[in-house]
Amino acid sequence: MHRFDRAFRFVLPAAAVAILATVLSVGWFTQPDRFAKGYAPEQPIPFSHELHAGTLRMQCQYCHSGVDKSRHAGIPSVDLCMGCHKVTKTDRPAIQKLAQIANSGQPLPWQRVHTLPDHVFFDHRPHVNAGIACQSCHGEVQTMKVVTREMGMRMGNCLGCHRDPHAALPTGSKITKGAEHCAACHR
Amino acid sequence: MKTRLPEHGPLETPQYWRTLEERLETPEAQRAAHDEFLPGAAPGTFDDVHGLPPSQSGFSRRDFLGLVSATAALAATVACDRKGQGTVVPYTRRPVEVVPGVANYYASAFQEGRRVYPVLVKTREGRPIHLTGNDEHPGVKGKTSPRTMADVLRLYDPDRLRAPKAGGRTLGWAEAESQLHAVLTGAKATGKPVLLISGAVVSPTRKALLADLKAALPTLEHLAFEPAAGDAAEEAAKASYGQAVDLQPRLAKAKVILSLGADFLNGEDPESLAAWGAKRRLKNAHEAINRLWVLEGPLTLTGTNADQRVPVAPSRLGAVAFALAKELSTKAVSLPAGADLSAIAVGVPQGVDIPAETWSNLVKDLQHAGRNAVVLCGAQMPAEVHQAAHLLNAMLGSEAVAVRAAEPLATVKDLEGAVQGMAAGHYAALIFWDVNPAYAFPRAAAWQEAVAKVPFRAWIGQVEDETAAQCQVLLPENHWLENWGDFTTEHAEVLQQPTIGTLYDTRQGEDVFLGVIRALGGHAPASYHVYLQGRWQQTLPLGTTFEQALHDGLVTSESKAATPAFKGASVAAAAQHAAASKSEGLELVLFPGFATHDGRHANNSWLQETPDPITKMTWDNPVSVSVQDAKALGIQEGDFVTLSLEGATLRLPAVIQPGQAKGVITLALGYGRTTGGVAKGVGANAYPFMGLDPTRANVRGGARLAKAGGKKDLSRTQSHHRMEGRDIVRSLTMDEFAHNPKGHYHMPELVSLYEDQTFPDHKWGMVIDLAACVGCSACVVACQSENNVPVVGPEQVARGREMHWIRIDRYYEGELENPKVVHQPMLCQHCDNAPCENVCPVNATNHSPDGLNQMAYNRCVGTRYCGNNCPYKVRRFNFLEYTAYKTEPEILVNNPEVTVRPRGVMEKCSFCVQRINDVKIRAKGDGRAILDGEVTTACMAGCPSDAIVFGDLKDPKSKVAQLVNASRAYRVLEEVGAKPAITYLADLKNPAVEGGPHAS
Repeated sequence: MHRFDRAFRFVLPAAAVAILATVLSVGWFTQPDRFAKGYAPEQPIPFSHELHAGTLRMQCQYCHSGVDKSRHAGIPSVDLCMGCHKVTKTDRPAIQKLAQIANSGQPLPWQRVHTLPDHVFFDHRPHVNAGIACQSCHGEVQTMKVVTREMGMRMGNCLGCHRDPHAALPTGSKITKGAEHCAACHR
Repeated sequence: MKTRLPEHGPLETPQYWRTLEERLETPEAQRAAHDEFLPGAAPGTFDDVHGLPPSQSGFSRRDFLGLVSATAALAATVACDRKGQGTVVPYTRRPVEVVPGVANYYASAFQEGRRVYPVLVKTREGRPIHLTGNDEHPGVKGKTSPRTMADVLRLYDPDRLRAPKAGGRTLGWAEAESQLHAVLTGAKATGKPVLLISGAVVSPTRKALLADLKAALPTLEHLAFEPAAGDAAEEAAKASYGQAVDLQPRLAKAKVILSLGADFLNGEDPESLAAWGAKRRLKNAHEAINRLWVLEGPLTLTGTNADQRVPVAPSRLGAVAFALAKELSTKAVSLPAGADLSAIAVGVPQGVDIPAETWSNLVKDLQHAGRNAVVLCGAQMPAEVHQAAHLLNAMLGSEAVAVRAAEPLATVKDLEGAVQGMAAGHYAALIFWDVNPAYAFPRAAAWQEAVAKVPFRAWIGQVEDETAAQCQVLLPENHWLENWGDFTTEHAEVLQQPTIGTLYDTRQGEDVFLGVIRALGGHAPASYHVYLQGRWQQTLPLGTTFEQALHDGLVTSESKAATPAFKGASVAAAAQHAAASKSEGLELVLFPGFATHDGRHANNSWLQETPDPITKMTWDNPVSVSVQDAKALGIQEGDFVTLSLEGATLRLPAVIQPGQAKGVITLALGYGRTTGGVAKGVGANAYPFMGLDPTRANVRGGARLAKAGGKKDLSRTQSHHRMEGRDIVRSLTMDEFAHNPKGHYHMPELVSLYEDQTFPDHKWGMVIDLAACVGCSACVVACQSENNVPVVGPEQVARGREMHWIRIDRYYEGELENPKVVHQPMLCQHCDNAPCENVCPVNATNHSPDGLNQMAYNRCVGTRYCGNNCPYKVRRFNFLEYTAYKTEPEILVNNPEVTVRPRGVMEKCSFCVQRINDVKIRAKGDGRAILDGEVTTACMAGCPSDAIVFGDLKDPKSKVAQLVNASRAYRVLEEVGAKPAITYLADLKNPAVEGGPHAS
């Protein structure tokens, strides 16, 4: 056996496989999108979008009122909830907890479900004003008991739609493309 | 210098220079011009990244590999865990006016000395983050000063006192106030005087409150102490008008302006700057322009903008000014009744070097302009110069200056009287309210001794200072953005309102005094808010509500007070004084620091790092020496010198100042503080040099200067970013503007191998008018506040690592002894063929379809190749972590619309892309086009002389699109073919030409 045969036949292929396996597994474990989808944390108040937005057919903007005025859609302030829940379902323990928070003024830390990577300045206004439905990015929220993340919200998601937005836009919209330059979102 | 490209460069250009080394072409300057970064700016070796000596940052390859593998393992482990995404906390009760993510604007006002700045406060989620002028105010019209804009940072100063203190122990307000009340009740009973020292009173309600306090405590004595206001101005006003006055220039009416050491263009006075800009932004040579004559000792910012400047020592200015008056009186300009100028000889006074031709031109100019001429005198000049200026204005009947009665200020003489009173045991108590005499009184030792003899000392202020150290009870005061207040200005009564709740357990000073009145048995409302609103409700004009006044921030009112009359009889004594005034030895001029003013802003790092507009010094106050004296004394830039005068001695670095009069040395006040996290140890305290004679407290003859050995590495931004001797700035005289506005510059046809960029919707561009730009640096501070620009500190500035996105380049031309000066704001030029974009290996910087040179921080890997390739030297690299380690309260001032950049990335001007995007989105939502002038960059909004215009070059009707084709227009380094989006308009100077037109 030539003295390099052993190296060529066994060591080199084994090393190649080992390196490939390492790269792939590290890549798989570190891919940012892996755990993004399906993220559904437990919230301090078990608020059901299925009930409010689905069964009761409340408009998204009734609570997320900043969405057409501000970059942020906004989480409703506790007093907005109390607008109804002063009289509605006051016997439920969750509503009693809510009332206690409203009266004491303690902070109500909702678990954030949808986040964007650092350095992104997403703005809800142009999207909502163009008639894009909330569900395009946030999924069928009106069917969710517990809000679950359905989109990874990576740059690929943004650009996919910006390059061909017609699926997300209402019929008859004149918009053919979204912005693709860096400063549209990064600044 | 590198050789200029012969076929592309200008054929015949004036030679501009930035530093003395460059002008004299020393080997060091030539080497520095050749190298991209200053020695030390770029790390020399891998080990040098921290700027530390290798022994401290020693880092072997073994360590490196170990760390890298550990990091990889850690990353893999961490990625296996699902991370929480953080929490979102909504308001419990959302205030109706707050929409998270949308800024609210409130009108308020800031006071500095006698000057009042009506401002608009931009708040985000209840936090003030940016200040601009109040556009409703008829005087300032939306503009304000650099120091005002920077003062938002002081709100979040971590050094602020957070609760009352007594004897080093923190205590509650009730206990602290009861100590104060007990002493004051005792003083009232025994009839012993109580001395209150505060700043200038320009608030009608504060004045009323002090009157109420005096009624409750009849033994109260009050001094309004403003160490930087200029005691001589105060004394001269008393002589000329019989009372304290406030002089406000009205430059819109002036055709000829004569400045006697007056620095009215230094950024402090937005009204003057606006008027100046309006007279200088000429479309063609037929439009009317004013002419600025400057006679001064130091080189001031106003002097750099002069059409004709003559260096004259301040001690001789009085004689010169009275000689002018005498000469004018012989030419049918009558002297006021009782004015006697017999002490003055006709013609240029002896020992003053003014060419006969210049003198006759000046006299003719003033005579022809008559009512449209104005003479302004610098606050620090000796009293007789002020009196001469008052006389000249009275003779000319000048309409370009408004004289208004003002509340008197205490001079150093009054303070000296108080010190004697204290030493004699005259006072029962001392109360300091937002003043720092322990630092600013010239005889600090005498002050300390005298203060110790007063049994009770109370201090009301924000950051514990030198005076607080001598007091028993410390009462923490609100920042003005947490305060109620009002001010009288020339055109309006201005309101100050809180724009944030108090951050700490602080109160406003007025509330403390209302408490005192109540404790002494007087009648006072529960809070100053109620007190103020009550007074306003009585005086509001019909049909205006208090809410409306708060919204506008003001109620317009024309001043009803009669203009104080000039007293001709005061002239004779002043003229005699002026004729006799001589300078012995070196003459020291003490003036308020550009950044620190009288010292109150010393703890503001934004201001400390803003380069002085003339010396380009940061974080220091070196002594400025004239070129002639430096040569005679053998002093070089940065040499340590010993400055001594009547027992006071300081060792400090020297800088050589071209244009400064021979025999004059200058030193800025407001440095050398011994307290404050930022202020402590920065520069040297110049107050011990102040004189005790109020008529010439800031101009001291007989100073001695000697080399002290050693050299300081100056934190100076001047020598960086040099421009390799190309035609960067253009300056035209009015004659050249009329006949050959393009000058002798030859522009070759530009050929590019790249395809032209296309801009489908917008092409953002900017025009900067160098004729209107005075170099006040308001844009620098506005940009810093808007774009979260970090502060790097003196050591890093000395290494050339400052981070400002916009800088003001200052170029000298001509003689060392009296050069012409041009200021040029320099920022990212957003080139169409940007040299930085081609070389980025990761495409982190590239071009947007609306003409922006965009910078994606998350893509940048920090090769610094772009910075190397930028012909304008406007890219900034985060060599260290400047911001991310900061915590509350400091981070609260950040603009949430702009990324806080981490270590290792490049950054630069973005044309305020966050503002562009916001306007775009709003316009789109409204279904309309963007209006011209709707997008404003921070620098444009902050520019008091409107030298900066920003807009869409694709819109032919926009202001900016029209200006780019003006005859004065040029682009910097056009010949390299980068196609910048910024167009400069050449500077204009309007010197008197023999036989040419005199202003009439």
